[in-house]
Amino acid sequence: MIKSPGDLAEELRELPPSSAINLKISGDSYFDAIRGIVDIFAPKKDLDVIYITVAIPSHSIIDVLKILEIDLSRIYFVDCVSHTMIGGAKKHDNVYYVESPTMLENIMLKVEYLVRKTSERNNVIVLDAINALGIHNNVNILSEFLHIMLNNLRAQDAYSIVFTMDDTATEDTNNMMGLVCDLNISIGSDG
Amino acid sequence: MDENKNNSVERERCPTGIDGLDNILNGGIPRGNTILFTGSCGTGKTTLSLEFLVHGALADENSLFISVTESSDKLTQNVIPYDFFEESLIKKGKLVFVDMPIIYERLGLTNVEFSLEDVDILVRAIGNLVDELSIKRLVIDSITSVCYRLKTEEKIREFILKIGKTLSTRGCTSMLISEISPSADRYSLYGVEEAIADGIVLMGNMERRGDLLRTLQVVKMRGTTHSRAKYVLDLTPAGVLLVPLLKGGGG
Repeated sequence: MIKSPGDLAEELRELPPSSAINLKISGDSYFDAIRGIVDIFAPKKDLDVIYITVAIPSHSIIDVLKILEIDLSRIYFVDCVSHTMIGGAKKHDNVYYVESPTMLENIMLKVEYLVRKTSERNNVIVLDAINALGIHNNVNILSEFLHIMLNNLRAQDAYSIVFTMDDTATEDTNNMMGLVCDLNISIGSDG
Repeated sequence: MDENKNNSVERERCPTGIDGLDNILNGGIPRGNTILFTGSCGTGKTTLSLEFLVHGALADENSLFISVTESSDKLTQNVIPYDFFEESLIKKGKLVFVDMPIIYERLGLTNVEFSLEDVDILVRAIGNLVDELSIKRLVIDSITSVCYRLKTEEKIREFILKIGKTLSTRGCTSMLISEISPSADRYSLYGVEEAIADGIVLMGNMERRGDLLRTLQVVKMRGTTHSRAKYVLDLTPAGVLLVPLLKGGGG
């Protein structure tokens, strides 16, 4: 099990483009995982980040990234949760809103738009997190969504990293992730 | 995929420039086809057809938009600011906007209801416009508004047949925009247009668990194999984007 953001970035750097990774996060390693990807891995590989937020609103993540003094200019957010909160969707240049986490096709469309918008460079797409999408969608449609989106991203040489919060992952979720991802990586403090 | 074996030789394509739609059509609309783009309001028909013309103009194919209900000025102001749009296309005459009421006025077609003779005059005028401007792509938005002045099925049939023939003999690929109500059980208001067009693309708003999704489905397209599945679309500054409608395990 990986324990630090630097180790996570190193592990990811070994992987070829088009990789789809199931990143299992346990304990209090959530922000270590984000740092490892957006602050170390992406800049070293010269990647633009497309960050799909389902667990918490984009502005909460942006606030944390600002505290950590992480450059936000090459991080684009597809925010699927703020519209479900009253007054939650605040205008921000790099944030694109999806009305509801049930609009899975619209998540794919926003990601596709951002891949085109940032076409000069390669991308890493982060889905945070599959457990939160599972609250709003059944496993059948979720599997179909991941299968189509990850294959599209593979075809565009993008890295895909799907967060799974290990403590709350169901057997269905784990089986589905095993089917659609190429590799499991675990990050946590208890290993 | 729907096998269409009318032609043993692969027909030349007119790529729409909309990647998702060109994939559905295996490369684009067969050149010279007259396609009915049909759907209720707010489904993206006008935006999609404009993108088809902009891509045509960028590919050096003269493109003409005939606006029947809305003035061209208002139309261009409300159109999504595409990243790939260039003002010079209009200045150079590659992308031309014409208001149908002006054509009516110039032809002296002032009657509320057109006669068969008026239909001939109108079709000839559009043909002349296509010749004069060397038009390769044309959109009429909407054909429903033109048909409103034709009234009878006979005249509508005559108009669609003649306009289709006029345009295809000139190698002009055309989109006729058709407006239907959301609950309509056919693809055009008068039921005649759909039978005569070379292709039908149905655009709709689909409600699923309280979410409203814009959808697109190619129902018919002569001269090519094509997907008949339903797709979800988004109107973005990068153009119309399409992804397959998720089925959720057949639910």
